[in-house]
This record gives sequence, C-alpha cells and structure tokens, in this order.
Amino acid sequence: MSEERRDSGDSFLRKSLRDAGGALVFPLIAIFIAFVIGALLVLASGNNPVAAYVSLIQGAVGSPTAIGRTLLNATPLVFTGLAVAVAFRAGLFNIGGEGQVFIGAITAAWLAVSVGFLGIAAIPIVLLACVVTGFIWGAIPGFLKARFGAHEVITTIMLNFIAINLATYFALGPLRSEGIVPGTETIEAAARIPAIGLGLGRVNYGLAVAVLAAVVIYFLLWRTKLGFRIRAVGLSPGAANYAGMRIGTNTVLAIAIGGAMAGLGGGVEVLGVYGKMSIPFVSNLGFNGIGVALLGRNHPVGVVLGALLFGGLASGAQEMQFATDVPLDLSDVLLAVILLLVTATKLVELIIGKRARALASGTRLDEGLGN
Amino acid sequence: MEELFGNFGQLLSSTIRNATPLIFAALGGMFSERSGVVNIGLEGLMLISAFAGVVGAFLSGSALVGLGTAMAAGLAFALIHAVMTITFEADQIISGTAINLLALGGTGFLMVEVFGSGGTSPNVQGFSAVRIPLLADIPLLGPALFNQSLLVYLMYALVPTTYFVLFKTPFGLRLRGTGESPEAVDTAGVNVFRMRYYGVALSGILAALGGAYLSMGILSAFTENMTNGRGFIALAALIFGRWHPVGAAGAALLFGFAQAFTFQAPQDVVPLEFLQMLPYVLTLIVLAGFGGRAIAPAAVGKPYRKE
Repeated sequence: MSEERRDSGDSFLRKSLRDAGGALVFPLIAIFIAFVIGALLVLASGNNPVAAYVSLIQGAVGSPTAIGRTLLNATPLVFTGLAVAVAFRAGLFNIGGEGQVFIGAITAAWLAVSVGFLGIAAIPIVLLACVVTGFIWGAIPGFLKARFGAHEVITTIMLNFIAINLATYFALGPLRSEGIVPGTETIEAAARIPAIGLGLGRVNYGLAVAVLAAVVIYFLLWRTKLGFRIRAVGLSPGAANYAGMRIGTNTVLAIAIGGAMAGLGGGVEVLGVYGKMSIPFVSNLGFNGIGVALLGRNHPVGVVLGALLFGGLASGAQEMQFATDVPLDLSDVLLAVILLLVTATKLVELIIGKRARALASGTRLDEGLGN
Repeated sequence: MEELFGNFGQLLSSTIRNATPLIFAALGGMFSERSGVVNIGLEGLMLISAFAGVVGAFLSGSALVGLGTAMAAGLAFALIHAVMTITFEADQIISGTAINLLALGGTGFLMVEVFGSGGTSPNVQGFSAVRIPLLADIPLLGPALFNQSLLVYLMYALVPTTYFVLFKTPFGLRLRGTGESPEAVDTAGVNVFRMRYYGVALSGILAALGGAYLSMGILSAFTENMTNGRGFIALAALIFGRWHPVGAAGAALLFGFAQAFTFQAPQDVVPLEFLQMLPYVLTLIVLAGFGGRAIAPAAVGKPYRKE
C-alpha cells in the first residue's frame, strides 16, 4: 500500500504500465521455473532440451497451421478461464468448469440436431441455449453455498462428475446415433460454426465468440452495477453486506455467469470442432481453465493470454513429440508446474523481496473451507 | 437360495475391493485436512503411486519393493504439495489441482520413458488373495472378507488405528488442534508448520497404499489414468463421513457398494451412469443437509503465517 502512495505523483500511463508489469511477475517466474524443470526432465530422458523447445515453439507459432492449432486449442480455454475468473472476482472458486462444459456440449449436441434445418440461424439459438443451461448448472453450487453454506470447491467437484455422467447418459442413451462411434448424431454442416480459413486449419469463428465473451465479461465486471457488486462481495463481503448488497444473490449470480461461460465453451466445441458429442468427450478443458485464469490473474485480458499460452503449449507438444523423442505429456507437466508455482507468494518473495505480497493480491482466496 | 447367497457373497467381496482404495485415500485426506491443509490432489497421489508401485515391482520382481516405491512416490508428491502450500503459501486448492495434473502428465511421460509406450504397462508381481484360515470359513461373510489381498487386511487395521491416533494420542490432539485453531496450538508451543507437514506426508503415504492396491491388488499392471476419479470419490467419502475415520470408511463402503452394484445390476433397471453419480449426489445432499460450515476443520484451507 505504502509503495502505491509513494508513486501517486506518476502519470496514469506509467502507473498502468507498472501495474501490468507487476501483474506479470508471478506468471513469468512460474513459467520460467517450469521451463527450467522441463529442460531438466528432457535432459534426464536423454534428449536435447534446446531441440525439444525449438520444436515446441515451432509447433506453437512456427507456421500458419501451427498458429491455427494453437488458436483452436486456446478457444475453449478462454471460456473455461472466464468461468473461473468471474467466480474468483466474487471470492469463489469455481472448480466446476469441467462439468459446465459437458452440460453446454450435450445441450448443443441435442438442440443443434433438432433445429439444424434452420442452417446458420440455428447457431445463435443453440449457443444461447448453452449459455442458459450452463447458467442453471452453475447456479446450483451458488445456491448450495448461499442457502446451506456448502463450500463451492467441494460442490463443484461433485457436480463435475454428476454432469459428466448425465451428459454421457444422454449421449449414449436417448440421443445415441446409429453409427459405430459412440455418441450423438452428427449436426448438419450448415448449422455448424464455419471455419475462418486463411490457411489456419480448423480454426473457426468460435474464436471470435471467445474474444467477444472476454469483452462482455470485462464490461460486466468493470462497467456495470452487477459487476461492481460481484467485485465488492469478493473484496470485502462484510463491507458489501453493510452497503446493503445481497451476498447470497451475488454469489449465485457469479458462479452462474461462470457456468454460462463454460457452457458456451462446450457448445462452441461441439458446433465448431466436433459437430457432435462423442463419448469420451474432450477432457480437462475445465481443469485447465483454472490454470488459465490464475495465470491471467483473473482478468479477461489475462485469461485470453493464458489461454493462448496453454493452447500453444498443447499445440507445440505435438510437434515436439514428432520431431524429437520427448513425449507429448511434457506439456501437461509444464502446465502443472506453472500452476503449482503461480500462487506461491513466499517463493516469489524469496526472489523479488517483500513487494511480492502486494503483487499477489487478486490471486488468492485464503478464507479457508471451514467457514 | 444358494444362488442368491452366492451373488451376495460376490457383491460383498466386490464391495470390499472397490472400497479399499477409497478408504486408504480418504484416511490419508483426513490426516491432511485435520491438520488444516486441503488435499484435492488425492487423485494424483494415488495415480503416481499406482505407477511407481508397478515400476518398482517390474524392476525388482517383488511386490513388496513395489509397495515401497509406491509409498515413496506418494510421499514425494505429497511433500511437493506440503512445500508449496505450507512453506511457500501457495493456494491449497490450486496446488492440489496442479498435483493431479502433474501426476497425469508425469505418468504419461514416464510410461513412454520406462516402458517405451503409453497405454498399459507389462504385468508385474502383485498382491494376490491370501485366505485366512478359520475366518474365511465363516458362512457368507468369510470368503468375502477374509479371502482378500494383504493390502485389504492392512486397510481393516488402519481404520481403527487412524481413529486411535487421531483421537487418543497427543499427536492426534495436536494435529486436530492445528487444523481447528493454529494460533492457539502455536501459543501452546506446538510447531504448526511441522504438524501440517506430518498431516500432508501421511496423506501421501496412505493415498499411495490406495494407488498400489489399484495397480498391484485389483490389477497387476498400470493403465494411464487408472484412478479414474477415485481420488475425488475418496474426497467425497471423507466429507460424507464428516472427517471421521469410521464415518469415512462407512461412506467409502457405501460408494464401493454402488460401484460393485453397477457391475452386477442389470443395465435396463437403472442406467449405469446414474449409479456412478450416486456418491456425488449423496455427498451434495449431506453438504446441503448438515451445512458445510459446521463440520470441516475450522482452519482448513488457510495458510498459517507466524506473526
């Protein structure tokens, strides 16, 4: 705090730049250490870390196809990252992105087959439905917290498995197609989100929906009364309560809006990438969203950047496995180490000194699970 | 009549087999959470130790050595969680999530490095069933309860042991105090950081027993992501059992029964997916019924900072 006061004479621009720089300290330290550990692993496995990382970077951004693959991977992570970030701003941990994605995906797989005859007009209808079902699914842990005090970390974990089983039941039961691949029927080509083209491979306009979602969440959080209330509840529940804000209502809304984002992400994956929901469906989008949000410090711009990094790592790892003998799974290890380090206040304090604690604010929820 | 009892015996035996890894992991999670450290990394701890156990048994040809390497790996990963959350004050939920991802990616990476390809490892020496004379002759229950792997008997012993350690020893009192009111036990001269390290370390060792039972008790090979959510079911059992060893074991048995039932029940009666949801739905109901706030250790999830 005292640091900030001392700097108050500076221009707005310089302060903003310093804030952005400060925000990057934790992520950059985490990323750097992760890559060092990764290099040691590669070395231990008898490969050349420089060659591995060169092919990793080439696979992420080295060609239009590589960039396309990165963007394709990043698209769903923007949604699941936002799902975590919105809830986080209200002081809540949404670990339920995984299940919320499945709810959105099964909604899209079901509705898009029914209204597919509408062609391109079906897309907004289906995506809106995904937003609604994701919102409702997200409202459940919000309600359980507001009404019964059940901690959202535990309830969202439980709801993940319930959602995955529910979606699996529908995809393999009532909605199952005749084909040999287990899953729902294929959606008509005209009702799918079209590809962008430009030599970027399978990247589709779902990417634009993702960027739009990030913009909407930014405006919602920082330019509307609802957003102000959500952030006030997150920063100081006591003060927000004193100011007459309903903590319960804002709790429910924050996780529900997060659920709507992840649900939309599930819908975009089905309409843009797969054209149906096959079982097993793509996994870990929700869990990786947690890392994306924290790396992006729960800010929509940061979420987009975090999603690009995660998407790039996943994309680059494919190339790396192909070009060298290093298994693809190295990217998961790198992401895990980044996630492990990105909230480690004390560790960063050892490196850059006491300023770390001030920089860490906005990435921590230390209220505990007991109350 | 005989067929009914035969099926019952099979169902019971399968319930025990399904519940055993859950009980190990839930008891482990209990030590961690009772000391004030949330451990949603149980899934990852089980997975890495299931793998390490198979590697140890593969290289040595001995199941016991495998059990040792499994416990060492579980301990090592738990210590990562401990260092990050207790010493470096990283967020406990995030660190747990990272442990899960690290185990998933790490085992995928090491499968290729150790066995040359992903998927499933070669078969290794596991813990086969050991029949306990006399006890196994008890009608109905005997064959189901006392013709199991050594690890199952270890589980039988661990439930009362955990109860005793937590509630009847000075160590247990300090551990619980650390999770409920770290400031108070610190004032009383207990080293909060050390108690939390013990709690998390025990969670790694116990979860490792669960992982080893999966890859060397039920199967005798490692398959990628073979835990398949069991760490989270164990977490559910821990909460459902209200952070009490007997309660958690009871909940794990109930969830194990639900799993056993899914294999035996005719599919057209209740869809498989609905049976698989059961543990999670029950846990939600319990959380809503009792209110999460009343039962969890008071300081769980909060880093402790000595002023």
